[in-house]
Amino acid sequence: MQKIPLMTAKAGMILARDVFRSESEIGIPICGKDTELTDTLIARLENLKVQSVYVEGHPVWEEGDRGLDDMLRDLDSRFAKVRQDPLTAKLHDIYANYLKRSMGESGGRKTD
Amino acid sequence: MDEKQTELKKIIMDTKTLPTLPGVINKLSALSDNDKSSVQEMARIVSSDQVLSARILRLANSPSYGFYRVSTISNAMILLGVNVVKSLAISSSIFEVMEKNSVGLWEHSLGTGVVSNMIAKKLGLPECEEIATAGLLHDIGKVIISLKCSEAEFEVRRIIDEKQIYMWEAEHEILGTDHAEVGCWLAKSWFLPDKLTEPIACHHNVEASANHRIKTSVVHMADVLIKASGFGDSGDSFVPLIQQAAWDALKLNEQIIAELVEELEDKLVEVKNFSLELQQDCDAPSP
Repeated sequence: MQKIPLMTAKAGMILARDVFRSESEIGIPICGKDTELTDTLIARLENLKVQSVYVEGHPVWEEGDRGLDDMLRDLDSRFAKVRQDPLTAKLHDIYANYLKRSMGESGGRKTD
Repeated sequence: MDEKQTELKKIIMDTKTLPTLPGVINKLSALSDNDKSSVQEMARIVSSDQVLSARILRLANSPSYGFYRVSTISNAMILLGVNVVKSLAISSSIFEVMEKNSVGLWEHSLGTGVVSNMIAKKLGLPECEEIATAGLLHDIGKVIISLKCSEAEFEVRRIIDEKQIYMWEAEHEILGTDHAEVGCWLAKSWFLPDKLTEPIACHHNVEASANHRIKTSVVHMADVLIKASGFGDSGDSFVPLIQQAAWDALKLNEQIIAELVEELEDKLVEVKNFSLELQQDCDAPSP
């Protein structure tokens, strides 16, 4: 499952979660999960000011969008200067765990 | 070094080339100082400037503030507060330059605004909107440096690459000052309130913040988090050290940070969307 900006949604993608009109998940969904997106549907969601949708799989690979290993390597290099600091190192571990969890669903490698 | 700094201050603060404030700001300031004036009156002044109105509405509708579909200036003023609208108006001329020339820095600023608001709400702090605005403006000094001293900025970027150091370190080496201080000069010259000026001036040194330690701490943490996420481009790619003073002032713990990371990663998709839309708008008029 991947959350993508509506602007990058394409016909043929499958919704992985219900789409709601407002940000909060209360009220009636305007489009149910498992629906296949079409151009008309995307235009309609745009009109309803929907910002983002959850779709099945990991269909949108942006430039610089990579697999888990690369993401962890990037994370390490961003934290290169501050790994010795206990507080900032905590943030690093929290982020690394988050990445492992969120990429795990889409076939990313699971490590400790 | 001091001479260099004075010289730089002179160049940067040269009012002839400083991004000008729209005329409405003066009227707005006069009105907001007067207790008897109403929000409607102020909204009317802002509405008289179409470009400004468009920008304020756009920002009020941005994920930074999280009020979707704010459609009138008076609503924006009520929701955001007069001070925020005033500083948005003031900064709109700067952001115009930024949106076009430096998408990375714009995204970093927008992201920091969003995360500042998120932290403030999570901790139940007052004046979330002001904190979001402080986050949005925290790197305003970088915009001015790149506008006024483009050669020096080029040097700064070169030595960041070469020595792999933080941007503020590189700025000190080349300019003898950094974007936080430059931002502070600018904020003071625009008479922004202290609660915005202090986070701009002290986001790399929370301990120096005397009167608005909490707000400064939020902006510092937001800066750290957004750099940890790798969103946008603030000039260097290194996560700053989390300052103990900020951690203590906000009484943070690992649990809160973990929740914030989840929320922020979820929200960043929207921020990206908003920024893409803006870029499309910017690209559209050019042939």
